[in-house]
Amino acid sequence: MFRRVLVANRGEIALRVIRACRELGVESVAVYSDADSMAPHALDADRAVRIGPAPPADSYLRVASVIEAARSTGAEAVHPGYGFLSENPALAHACQDAGLTFIGPPPSVLETLGSKIAARTLAARAGVAAVPGKIPATQSDEALAAAAAEVGFPILLKPASGGGGIGMKRVADAAGLAAAAAQARREARAAFGDDTLYVERALTRPRHVEVQIFGDSHGHVVHLFERECSLQRRHQKLIEESPSVALTPALRERMGAAAVAVATEAGYRNAGTVEFLLDGTGDDARFYFLEVNARLQVEHPVTELVAGVDLVHAQLRVAAGEPLPWTGRDLAQRGHAIEARVYAEDPEQGHLPQAGRLLLYREPRLPGVRIDSGVREQGEISVHYDPLLSKVIAWGETRDAARRRAIEALRRYPILGVRTNVRFLLSLLDSPRFVAGDIDVGLVESEAAELAAADTTDWSAAAGAIAAVLEARSACAVSATTADPWTTLGAWRG
Amino acid sequence: MVEPLGDGVFRVTTEDGRQRLAWATRVGSASWVFIDGATLVVDPAAPTSRKASGTDEAALSSPMPATVAAVHVSPGQAVSEGELLVTVEAMKMELAIRAPRTGTIRSVQCEVGELVQPGHPLVELER
Repeated sequence: MFRRVLVANRGEIALRVIRACRELGVESVAVYSDADSMAPHALDADRAVRIGPAPPADSYLRVASVIEAARSTGAEAVHPGYGFLSENPALAHACQDAGLTFIGPPPSVLETLGSKIAARTLAARAGVAAVPGKIPATQSDEALAAAAAEVGFPILLKPASGGGGIGMKRVADAAGLAAAAAQARREARAAFGDDTLYVERALTRPRHVEVQIFGDSHGHVVHLFERECSLQRRHQKLIEESPSVALTPALRERMGAAAVAVATEAGYRNAGTVEFLLDGTGDDARFYFLEVNARLQVEHPVTELVAGVDLVHAQLRVAAGEPLPWTGRDLAQRGHAIEARVYAEDPEQGHLPQAGRLLLYREPRLPGVRIDSGVREQGEISVHYDPLLSKVIAWGETRDAARRRAIEALRRYPILGVRTNVRFLLSLLDSPRFVAGDIDVGLVESEAAELAAADTTDWSAAAGAIAAVLEARSACAVSATTADPWTTLGAWRG
Repeated sequence: MVEPLGDGVFRVTTEDGRQRLAWATRVGSASWVFIDGATLVVDPAAPTSRKASGTDEAALSSPMPATVAAVHVSPGQAVSEGELLVTVEAMKMELAIRAPRTGTIRSVQCEVGELVQPGHPLVELER
């Protein structure tokens, strides 16, 4: 096992890896930007190294700074987390050149899977079909239009180097193509430095079901079952769960085998995810290869709770050359897990990301609930980074038990100072279609009005009364009077 | 009834005897309150709805700290309601700033790459 590992990330995933290192007796090195000098990940690691100014391009995305931080602290390996440089072959290459172990797949695998076009070709070689699509002959508007016409509208425009739904556009007809392409190119160029697009048929009400895979350097590849991530908004996942209610044992077997086939064909090592779109439910459902996420996923805790494994421990062990800690036969799903992603965003204003200070932040402690977070009370939420604050992951013997636990956790999870999507997540978890398991990737958008109007208790009178208490208290502090303001407030009646 | 329990925690008891814990804190004139999954902001200094007030200032400024990705208009240009004026980008998301009404661009107050703050109009619109 390594003696010291550098964690090239921030937020909740950096903390998750730092803690796993500590559990295995491995020293951790955090890197931080100027905006993060007092962030939890920078405070919690055994060592912390500044790598540049706040903008990611000047810090967390700078390969040279990450490598230099590893070298200067004597780290032996680099864990990239997700996002940032995690799937960028440049970091994996630079680690190799510097004699560091990159905790992830080999650089050549990242290169192949990082191109969605090459990944589709690879999946086809492994006998796994992708959604019907077309790579345009050139990147001109005319060639895109020709490809779109051949595939048939509605289509999805996708960046070849993309991920996380950034730059992805659904186009209903030929008239909207040019404008959507221009915006997709701009977003793709800004996010990935590459504006190559391809065209894919948009399915009607598909589900997003993905399979966790894991490979080691001894020739073993296993899968750790599925996660369903159909609840998304603008292609950003909101709620993930395992098992998927859409899968039968036979379908699960087929999808798991397909994921292992893709991973084997790719020569995959360490943790990864094969994403599928599922058309229909039950034994006859068809699934299509989407892409491979060549890293640990945000939603990995769902798998950890259901399969009873620690994926980050396994990542560290496998990167250090140990064989996988489990074989396919050891693995089983037990109970049900649901993850809800808490974002700093305002659902009442088009889910705009929010920035500011967390004036009050208290995580609930409840049975069966795990919270992976990367923030603290009085910490600053910066405009520069992803607005994910934390993940609430609930486990229960049944789907409904897990769902109720997630709801209870969110109802007792005060986050004040920035707007969050907590109320929105509660509406989703309580919506009749989620309760029934009748979900698809378009649900959040198609049910937007119902979700916004979800029946909730009106607490405005109570909030007004509390505000009056706080106001009296601050007035009291200013005048330095010893009078007890509470006795003069009277009772609030709701 | 509302009782402070200390450390930002309150007990709220409704008329029918149901009770809930609430968490609250104050910044400036605003009180932030969390009860039962709902977050409420009570601010006597801002009596109008916190949603876009309908003024040009609100409509023509970025709703969040963001970077200007593109400026689509220039001074003197006539624009119609809903026309794209400026694209800003924050947290990997593009957001369109559109003309709240028909008019003529008086001036452009931002440039590509600039970090802009909410409340700062990105363009001026003549009637």
